[in-house]
Amino acid sequence: METVRQARRLAAVDRRAAALGLQPGQKLTDARARVPGLAVAPAEPEADAEALEALVDWCVRYSPAVAADPPDGLFLDVTGVAHLWGGEAGLMADLRARLFANGLPFRLALADTAGAAWALARHGRDGVIAAPEAQAALLAPLPPAALRLEPEATAQIERLGLRRLGQLMDIPRAPLGRRFGAHTLMRLDQALGRAPEALAFRRPPTPWMARLAFFEPVSAPEDMARVTDDVVAELCRRLEAEGRGARRFALAFHRVDGRTLPLEAGLSLAGRDSARIARLFHPRLETVDPGFGVEAVTLCAYEVEALQPRQARIHAGEAPSAEDGLASFVDRLANRLGADRVWRAAPVESHIPEKAVTRIAAIGAETAATPWDARTPRPVRLFRRPEPLEHVYALLPDDPPRRFRWRGRVHDVRRAEGPERIGEDWWLRDIGDVSPTRIRDYYRVEDQDGARFWLFRAGLYADADAPPKWWMHGVFG
Amino acid sequence: MSPARAPRIAALAARIARIEGGVRSDVGGLAFGVLEIDACLPGGGLPLGRWHEVAADGMETELSAAPVLFAALAASPLARRGEAVWVFRRDDLWAPGLSGLGFPAERLVQVWARDEAEVLGVMEDALATPGVSVVFGEAGTVDLTAGRRLQLACERRGTTGFVLDRRPFGGEAKRLGPGTASATRWRVASAPSAKPAEGVGLGAPRLAVTLERCRGGRPGAWILEAACAYGGGPGFYREASDDAHPLRLVAPLGDRELATAGRRAA
Repeated sequence: METVRQARRLAAVDRRAAALGLQPGQKLTDARARVPGLAVAPAEPEADAEALEALVDWCVRYSPAVAADPPDGLFLDVTGVAHLWGGEAGLMADLRARLFANGLPFRLALADTAGAAWALARHGRDGVIAAPEAQAALLAPLPPAALRLEPEATAQIERLGLRRLGQLMDIPRAPLGRRFGAHTLMRLDQALGRAPEALAFRRPPTPWMARLAFFEPVSAPEDMARVTDDVVAELCRRLEAEGRGARRFALAFHRVDGRTLPLEAGLSLAGRDSARIARLFHPRLETVDPGFGVEAVTLCAYEVEALQPRQARIHAGEAPSAEDGLASFVDRLANRLGADRVWRAAPVESHIPEKAVTRIAAIGAETAATPWDARTPRPVRLFRRPEPLEHVYALLPDDPPRRFRWRGRVHDVRRAEGPERIGEDWWLRDIGDVSPTRIRDYYRVEDQDGARFWLFRAGLYADADAPPKWWMHGVFG
Repeated sequence: MSPARAPRIAALAARIARIEGGVRSDVGGLAFGVLEIDACLPGGGLPLGRWHEVAADGMETELSAAPVLFAALAASPLARRGEAVWVFRRDDLWAPGLSGLGFPAERLVQVWARDEAEVLGVMEDALATPGVSVVFGEAGTVDLTAGRRLQLACERRGTTGFVLDRRPFGGEAKRLGPGTASATRWRVASAPSAKPAEGVGLGAPRLAVTLERCRGGRPGAWILEAACAYGGGPGFYREASDDAHPLRLVAPLGDRELATAGRRAA
């Protein structure tokens, strides 16, 4: 049941309700009048969308190119993969058996075009497979609703007495387009394969995919490690044969109960060394719960690029090149701790301290910014958030503090240097926001023990009632 | 001693060193260029292929700024030979500051670990990685087992490690026995700088450095100055090389009382 324009209508009906003559779109009051004992539940479009997403993920076992067709359908592009199941009929039988085992209601159709498959699945015979180039004959007896048009457009076509698509196909194109609009014409062309149709696939399909299916489901940890090695080795063999390497690998375990468990690993330099890639997955295999067993495993490679083959070292035991060693070290860490926990600091051309450093990838990233000026003293530790100073004694208007209290300790300033005035980046702001008092005056001070600090006064002494605040921003050591 | 006995004593000292630590003697040392310090260290310099502890007192156990200054200066000749890795739990290390000390910050890979065990694990991994010449880790006190593991990792490729004793989020220090697997243990505090030549501002950063423990060497205490920091000193514009060490001796802290007093004050 859903609410459309203040009227409660049926969103979906089950088989028994359909047998009683109820149909989606009916008003709830009408349905209640017809079937007094009707049990209704509110529609959950989000949950439906999630379930569809899960089903889409699951379908990757058949082909990497899966497109969701909300609210209740999905397209599976089986070009070039059907032979793995002994032909299209075999693939459909397998899909049917698995969907049935999961208790999902479904209708299947296979055709040259997405439009034809949509029409046949919803309005044709369940499980029909259209021979290549032969979808026109199968589409002809279907109603105009099979064209994926707006309900109003469909109603208009039917009002004119056109009850089958065959009649629509017989009409010359020009009058058809004039009467029903370009959209109808486009949908018809798409169904018949005369116009291209772009599907939004779940993720860009990669031709770099390897798949292993098992006669018996595996679940033992050592088996999981072994199948990971095998599937990685298989894909890496292909990558090597074509002189390519990839930066990102997505491993998916397909469980018997239909759930898919994904794992991802990234490399900082494109690679195809199967042992190294498999090692990135191994520590995380224990997070994969195989349940009652895993029956298939797929591996996709993304960001595939050409990779110059390097001559293997004659002395296999000798140390690899320095770059090799560091790259695999960084990859291990990035996959174990997360990619945002390993970085190199790179300069940014900004005079504002907290913006002067950016984090770049530890391997392979280049920066063109001019390096930091080593002659301006800068602290070795910079606090992400400046910490407030208390009890600051400083002479007006811009002398360094004589004494301040920070983290519960009083520091007497012996030597000081400054101010170094750092203004805000006013050119990035609204003209109304810009103010000459938005500045920070930085001082480098040394206390009685020799500890050196970097502190600043935010703003100027302008208002006697609201003196500017002092902050600690970093320490020199 | 007579000249004839010197080689025999050297051979005996080498044998004792072998028995004591099973140390690989081929990696050598990194001389500070300060005779007084180098004389205290075995092999005339900071032993390479080992790991070193840098401790601090007071607020510095949280901030760990003076230890960073000391470790970065002591290791910058090393960092220029390869890649450097810095592992920490609190990501407040600031590269512009390191580059101001003459440390090659562009060669530094920073790793932000989640806990102390991870810091040590990543350090071990980094020490055994080819191409890495020096590894810094900000951990609390390292116990004997973890220290031995670090030492084994150091020996695999002759990489040098520095463990900065830091508890970034406060808390009590772990109470440990006297044993440790580190080659040296330093205690570092900031020291008041000298009046600069121009008469205003701060002088070059100074450190009160105490060599507390040294395997096969002698302890000592000194005040060192990073004369070349922030563009000062003569060595800065010269092409950096191994023989120009960035630390300079100001005064020996011969008096142990004085050294302890300085420590307490920090």
